[in-house]
Amino acid sequence: MAVGPRAQNYLLENPVASDYLDLRAEAITTGDVSQDSLYQDAADTYGASLDRLARAYELDPDARRDLLQDIHLHLWRSFGNFDRRCSVRTWVYRVAHNVATGHVIRQRRVRSRLVSIESVDTMPGNDRGELVASQNEALDRVSMLIQRLKPLDRQIIVFYLEGMDASSIGEITGLSPANIAMKVHRIKNVLRRWFGEGEPHAE
Amino acid sequence: MPSELPMNDPRNIWQNQPTEVFKMSVNEIRGKAQRRRRKARREALLQITIGIVVCAFFAWIFARAHDETLPRVGLGILSLCGLNFAYQAYRWIWPGRPGPDAAVSSSVEFYRSELERSRDYGLHIWRRAGLTFCFLGLALVILPGVIHSLNSPRLLLNFVPVLVLLAIWLAIFFPTRKRRLRRLQEEIDELRGFEQHGRS
Repeated sequence: MAVGPRAQNYLLENPVASDYLDLRAEAITTGDVSQDSLYQDAADTYGASLDRLARAYELDPDARRDLLQDIHLHLWRSFGNFDRRCSVRTWVYRVAHNVATGHVIRQRRVRSRLVSIESVDTMPGNDRGELVASQNEALDRVSMLIQRLKPLDRQIIVFYLEGMDASSIGEITGLSPANIAMKVHRIKNVLRRWFGEGEPHAE
Repeated sequence: MPSELPMNDPRNIWQNQPTEVFKMSVNEIRGKAQRRRRKARREALLQITIGIVVCAFFAWIFARAHDETLPRVGLGILSLCGLNFAYQAYRWIWPGRPGPDAAVSSSVEFYRSELERSRDYGLHIWRRAGLTFCFLGLALVILPGVIHSLNSPRLLLNFVPVLVLLAIWLAIFFPTRKRRLRRLQEEIDELRGFEQHGRS
């Protein structure tokens, strides 16, 4: 695995995955690292997260596998044009969510039934605070909620569930911190009602 | 999934759900990308061929018809429509054209541009698909027949089912399209608001 001398020195001092990926990204511009190995590193680091992301956009297992393949394909292709205008993490999530959004937009019938998080929050009869019997049921419930949302709100709830902070969400989505705070507030309300969630999570 | 997770914590449940390892190697992905490109080329070639065949078919009839001027003009227009179809297939479907850069644009920007594309496609579908000229060509081809049949109203009855179906289609198509475009525009405006807020 070839990285430049600056990257090697840095890595010895700061072996953090995301920094490491950014250094590899720097190396790609100097020709030290190939598009393939940068993709491979990103896939290794964010593979599980991308799998969950595909689950947020597609419930059918076969279609989900196709979507995940599509995401990886676009990701690999995109690293050929990687210009370091953002971090590798932001790049990966932008590509993945944009591919998945395209997938939702192509399903015109599904798209016409999608609603915003505000609608879910204010819709009467959506209080599903009863306790779920198993973790699979809880996962089904959260998936069901996500599947009802428009792509942008879907992204924000996925980022929230992934544990990302508001500034990272803002960098990826392009939304202002105020808009994200408002959306996350709605998401928390809905989750509290759907899951009887206890303490609100700190941002 | 660990069994001790509290079931009222969706974040934990989400993050600890079982995931599958993505098994494709870089070489397999590269191969898939090439296969997909070849498939897209085949599809585009098929569309282009259909357009050229339609063009040639109507041009052939045009060359053989010597009787009336109006149907000949109609056939000429239909032939050009076939050529336009082939050109549009090349322009829009042929792979290799740089698509929207999925990574450079933020999610809001990408989503908005996709919705705008969808809206513009709906707005200009007649012009883009050359439907206006297709209908004009068809009308010119069948018009003399209709005029001749005016002398015998019984023959005109043959056209009634087609006209009824056309009327039903128009009655459904335009309101549905208008409603869809209105919804799209509302969503685009909302996203534009988010973008402006994000920049300020």
